Amino acid sequence: MANNDHKPLTTELIDLDHEPETKPEAIEQLLALAVDAGRVNDREQALADLHAREEEATTGVGMGIGIPHAKSTAVVAPTIAFTRSAEGIDFDAMDDEPATLIFMLLVPAEGGEEHLAMLSSLSRSLMHEETRTALHEAESPERVESIILEAVE
Amino acid sequence: MIERTVTVVPEDGLHARPASKVVEAANAYESTVTVGPADGDSVNAASMLAVTGLGVGPGDDVVVTADGPDEADALDELESILTTPEG
Repeated sequence: MANNDHKPLTTELIDLDHEPETKPEAIEQLLALAVDAGRVNDREQALADLHAREEEATTGVGMGIGIPHAKSTAVVAPTIAFTRSAEGIDFDAMDDEPATLIFMLLVPAEGGEEHLAMLSSLSRSLMHEETRTALHEAESPERVESIILEAVE
Repeated sequence: MIERTVTVVPEDGLHARPASKVVEAANAYESTVTVGPADGDSVNAASMLAVTGLGVGPGDDVVVTADGPDEADALDELESILTTPEG
């Protein structure tokens, strides 16, 4: 992954083939992508940090979006992972909308406010229906990658 | 419509628990509540996605507006959330 170090998202962090059925399953699935891509060196620690954040307040932000995220000592480089669910899964969102587009944001512990900047630009972009529709309709990880990277730039 | 400028105190800024409390409060009132940076565009405070998108950090000034029959109470509660260290 040496060539990809500067990109938070690569196609190996995008899974369009397996749809999670629950929120914990979505978190495990996205974290597994990050672990396999060498972005996380301690899976258990990262999982604990993700769950701790989830307990503080749900990352089901509504409008069909879930963005589980954590700043963690287990994270090697800023990372985004993505999957989706056609049926939608319960993400404890305040608007009760099931999540169909699910993003995971992971940043190293020393990342400062970097994760908040990434989170807010992604959220702003997802406010636009065109972005959400494009992500639903994307047929390849390459297409998803370009939509999301454009969103967080 | 009434508005107030508030300096955000919680360490998390408008994120995590404080953001969730803001959205819950905005949904609990009949009034329409908005929040935004002092020098930028405001968003619907009842939307978690919109509030997360603001990227407001601790120490930032935000303008909160409320418009409706219970606007004074709504504004008071929002101010209280935004100025309490724990959110």
